[in-house]
Amino acid sequence: MDTLSEDLKKKLIEILNLTDVTPEEIDENAQLVGGELGIDSIDVLEMVVMVEKEYGVIINNKEIGEKIFSTLAALTDYIRQNSPKFS
Amino acid sequence: MSSKKITVSIAGIGIISPLGIGLLATEQALRKNRSAITPLTVFPVQHPSPLPVGQVQDLSDSPLPRTHRLAITAANQAMGGYTHPPDAVILGSTTGGILRTEALLAQGEQDPEKYRYHGLSTVAEEIAREVHCTGQALTVSTACSSGSVAISMALKMLQADEVQWVLAGGADSLCRLTYFGFHSLQLVDQEGSRPFDKNRRGMSVAEGAALLLLTNQQPTHSYGQILGCGLSCDAYHSAAPHPQGQGAAAAMKNALDNACLAAADIGYINLHGTGTPDNDLAESRAVRKLFDPVPPLSSIKGLSGHGLAASGAIEAAVTAICLERDLLPANTGCLVPDPECKIHPIKKPEKQPVSVALSNSFGFGGNNACLVIGRSDNKPSAAHEPHKADLTILGKACITGAGHTKESMEQFFRLESMAGTLDLKDIAKDLAARKVRRLKRFSQMALALATSVLNDAALEQAPHSVFMGSGWGALSETHDFLDKLQSSKEQFPSPIDFVGSVHNSAAGQIAIMHGATGANITCSGGDYSFEQALLTADNFLRSDEKLHSAFVLAADEFHEHFSPLFDPSVDGNTVPADGGGGFYLCRGAVPKKTSVRLCFFSGNGTDIIDPLIAALGGKEHLQNSCGMILAGIPAAFADDGEIQLDHFMQQTGLDIPVIHYRKFTGEFASASSVAAVMATHLLESGEIAVDKKVLVLGFGKNITAMEFGRQ
Repeated sequence: MDTLSEDLKKKLIEILNLTDVTPEEIDENAQLVGGELGIDSIDVLEMVVMVEKEYGVIINNKEIGEKIFSTLAALTDYIRQNSPKFS
Repeated sequence: MSSKKITVSIAGIGIISPLGIGLLATEQALRKNRSAITPLTVFPVQHPSPLPVGQVQDLSDSPLPRTHRLAITAANQAMGGYTHPPDAVILGSTTGGILRTEALLAQGEQDPEKYRYHGLSTVAEEIAREVHCTGQALTVSTACSSGSVAISMALKMLQADEVQWVLAGGADSLCRLTYFGFHSLQLVDQEGSRPFDKNRRGMSVAEGAALLLLTNQQPTHSYGQILGCGLSCDAYHSAAPHPQGQGAAAAMKNALDNACLAAADIGYINLHGTGTPDNDLAESRAVRKLFDPVPPLSSIKGLSGHGLAASGAIEAAVTAICLERDLLPANTGCLVPDPECKIHPIKKPEKQPVSVALSNSFGFGGNNACLVIGRSDNKPSAAHEPHKADLTILGKACITGAGHTKESMEQFFRLESMAGTLDLKDIAKDLAARKVRRLKRFSQMALALATSVLNDAALEQAPHSVFMGSGWGALSETHDFLDKLQSSKEQFPSPIDFVGSVHNSAAGQIAIMHGATGANITCSGGDYSFEQALLTADNFLRSDEKLHSAFVLAADEFHEHFSPLFDPSVDGNTVPADGGGGFYLCRGAVPKKTSVRLCFFSGNGTDIIDPLIAALGGKEHLQNSCGMILAGIPAAFADDGEIQLDHFMQQTGLDIPVIHYRKFTGEFASASSVAAVMATHLLESGEIAVDKKVLVLGFGKNITAMEFGRQ
């Protein structure tokens, strides 16, 4: 099991207050923004803050941001490649 | 439709912004066209290179917080040469005294006295004190459209001829909440705002104040006219504009209709143009939808930055000055116009006579306000005759510590206190968890009220408009934003909390949930916030043909840290209490329904009880018609309030039950909205004879009267 991916699911549920969702229900390959979870641009910014705070990864470019937050799997990969925690 | 000629003139202008202090300095800055945006120095930040902002230089010193000082400077300028006080003050503000509050909180200050200027309403109250206005001091908080909405409210009151002189505008100082908040939303351009430029990256947060002395009388000198106003709500998203500019276009169209003008009559548009990619694109689309050809246009925010609640008033003032001086200001910072916007803002200041212009202001919550401004030599405009019709209550609801409407009213009829703080799960029991996941207590309470009001009305169609009152707004979001900001050493504040912290976030959410695309106004008048919302609804519902119905609601949340610091009626011994109430209102009489009338709203000057009695129809009328009084005396004003109530009872000779409603609701700013529901319930349950009225009177800092009766 991918621990980073599991951690991210739990953090997403916590910071976005998705009280009716369990980590198991989040499909890491499903569309993250504008998908079933109802995540929008403000949620993305909240995730940006969380990613910087927890993993030291700064995302401040809209175009790159759209790719990173396309799916949870993409976000996991990006953090793994760029976070000092994983280097 | 009947119409009468009425002219609303600008008799005085006060302006203080990054462009300078006063009309002359402002005009010179517009002509020089050199950006006044510079790195922040107003307060220290931990990051070594502060972001560029628009800040006021050389602001005079006084013990008052910065927003108050900005506002008073502008007020004194606007009143220059006039010795007679205005009949009313209407101010738009989003930050109030928060810059000082932020510093006090960081020091761990626990003395409530130090926080006495935190509330938004204190800015309008200080202006009123400064210019000796004893009439209405109203506060509107609709984010970045606040200043324009305040001027719109003044226009409605003057067109109805209820008042003759109104001082209206907006004021906001820079503060950590907005500086870090907009940054957290990645809406700040590190190189300074450059509206409509193809490389634009965002706005520059700024500060300032502008106040217009408006009158329907003949002023000694006129700086122009306010010919019309148009409001709308996107009902789309809490922070992003409708991508096609639907709400923006509706507001511009409403303003033109209100002024009885066509798009072709507009010679210049002062754009909202913040410099954010989304706003500028949506606004340009809206402009192109309405205007063909597109008239000369520009945003001055590349010059001044975005003065938030002040911006609408600053830009109304600038537009008026420019019309008088045959000057069209430049769209500073736009070097290469964005081809996607397909508009060509004015590159350099131009000399060109224009007689009528439009000024746009849009804000969070999809709150849009547009003003039509004319040169002083304009023909009088044809204004719509106000409808002096009653407002009818089609649905009602309240939330108290005892529960929702049914439980609250049962408790009241048992003569037991409803005071308390209802569990959030119970408040939101009828709301989908997913819909409210980003909202905290205040907004959830407001949404729950709107849903209950609609259910009670048993109508499928929700009202078009929302008029909301709140003394303190979203305390949880404000607290959590500042707390995270401080604990993370200014690194990780929450963008969600910032969006939710604005006073009008709740009203914006109601609009989104119920598709209410009409006027959307949030008033913040301390303990009289519900009355201010009702007064505003009354003005708009009877003067705007397009508005037939509205939610009129008020709510306040109890916050364990903030409520005892901010609300002077709450201390360590007070039972924590919160809640709210309100109505689905429509214009005109409906048989067998209850009607509501805001009969009186005034400051607490001397000899105020006689005018109150006169406004209620006089002593004899009151003795014949009045069945019960619900009196609201906030704990902080207990002594004055009791004297005022005694005086009222003696003068009228009334011998009817008087209920001190705060003994039942508990102490919170919008308790009067619950009292309004209590009054309606008393009438509808038959407790009060069908031919009798129930009065809900407010005492203390203001004197207010709402009259409820059966039709």
